[in-house]
Amino acid sequence: MLALQILVNGILLGGIYASIAGGFSLVWGVLNVINILHGSFVVLGAYMAFFAYTLLGIHPYLFVPIAALLLFAIGLAVQYAIVNRVIDAPVLVSLTLTFGLTLFLDNVMLNAFKADFRKVNLRPPLGIIDVSDYLPAIDIIVPVDRLASMAFAILLVALLYWLLRRTSIGRAIVAVRMDRYAASLMGVDTRIIFAVTFGIGAAMAGAAGALLSPIFPISPLASTAYLGKAFVICILGGLGSVTGVLVGGVALGVLESFGAYIFGPEHSLTLSFTLLILLLIFRPTGLLGKRGFI
Amino acid sequence: MSQPLLSVETINAGYGLVSVLHDVSISVMPGEIVCLIGSNGAGKTTLLRTISGVLTPASGSVRLDGADLTGAGTKAIVRAGIVHVPEGRRLFAGLSVRENLLMGAYLRGAGTPEVRRDLDRVLATFPRLAERASQDASTLSGGEQQMCAIGRGLMAAPRLLMIDELSLGLAPKVVDELVETLAAINKSGTAILVVEQDVATALALAQRGFVLDTGRIVASDSTRALAESPEIQKAYLGAELELAG
Repeated sequence: MLALQILVNGILLGGIYASIAGGFSLVWGVLNVINILHGSFVVLGAYMAFFAYTLLGIHPYLFVPIAALLLFAIGLAVQYAIVNRVIDAPVLVSLTLTFGLTLFLDNVMLNAFKADFRKVNLRPPLGIIDVSDYLPAIDIIVPVDRLASMAFAILLVALLYWLLRRTSIGRAIVAVRMDRYAASLMGVDTRIIFAVTFGIGAAMAGAAGALLSPIFPISPLASTAYLGKAFVICILGGLGSVTGVLVGGVALGVLESFGAYIFGPEHSLTLSFTLLILLLIFRPTGLLGKRGFI
Repeated sequence: MSQPLLSVETINAGYGLVSVLHDVSISVMPGEIVCLIGSNGAGKTTLLRTISGVLTPASGSVRLDGADLTGAGTKAIVRAGIVHVPEGRRLFAGLSVRENLLMGAYLRGAGTPEVRRDLDRVLATFPRLAERASQDASTLSGGEQQMCAIGRGLMAAPRLLMIDELSLGLAPKVVDELVETLAAINKSGTAILVVEQDVATALALAQRGFVLDTGRIVASDSTRALAESPEIQKAYLGAELELAG
């Protein structure tokens, strides 16, 4: 039963991880930009949700679309005004640029919000579901806040998939990812598609931040941890595919849960990076082993 | 004589410091099929890229129906009615045939009745695409990919369709099929500018031709006259005539 409980915890965690990695994977796949800012965008979304709840009383789950919109605008502006200038440069240049931007944003947040760990304490708390009340044979508990955050996170990832596969702008994003030159011959303005893609990536980060604000502590120092998870998930699932993000997210969540139980929770980050290194050595194409197109 | 649909006047263009085209002038009349022939590296693709706005010429002008499009950018040029089907087809892998075709109509909006009607028309023109409409475009055969690339171009409802290397890498039977289809497309009013390395195919398809050599237009005439010209026969048709003889 304990193993099942750990597995359930891992899946709940993994769903939320998938939403963190979705936007990162999209930007990496389409723009070939490794957006170091992504973790800071997650934290910014979490802070927005925190203040929206403590100051205005807006529930974090209701704040998800607002966080997404605000971060979309920020992402769009950052890409159009700054990152677009180096979009054709080697990947290391844009990586360095977003690294610089993330130092800037993290320190602005440190200055504005201090380094104190904060958390949205929902009043009343959402409580837990004791599964054995319904199915006596299965003795596990499910925290409702995690369950709800995971459900919304998976909805977000599904929304991203729908956007990319069923809308005209999504088709243009996929087309630009596959062949920039051919897309421009169709009259697609690649600079605008880049900015919209970056905006969508930031919106996913902001929404994920709002979703995890009732669960994880919020601090500017957490940005690198979120970035690291996004990285590992992309490598696990294979870069740039929505299904890969789901598979990678859940795989990492489950692995961390078991790892935290066996080695202690302080080693969960070590474990994910050990896994990253092993994967890069033995299976660099990811678990699904195919090049995704989102 | 009526006004040309496309007129390119004394274009100089290239990449960075390397100039490729020198005072190139060509024209396409409404409803005409024109071919552009020349050996590798002559500047045919560069000329198409300059017309479609991928490259901005250092000097000279590109006009469609009198309207100046020089340096207007690909978006404005597609919207004005010039579509460039690139060499190597360059379909979007991972997107279905139908999605590829719809990408051609990107600037027109996917849901409009006109676009839906054009999609039906393209699928009727290329029945093999209709059979494979929901298939990933990268799984098509070479000939089908070229059909899809041409169909994608047609989805922009162009007044001038430019095709770079129509027959490259395709079986002769497929090329014949494509030539027939292009003639039918042309009959319905779309002018065509085709770059073709197989000079015999080019001269059979087009009414008029331009010969490009190291960035300069060295001959332009009706394809009939070009086919009879001793220089063209020697430079471009020689090997084939020997084979045929």
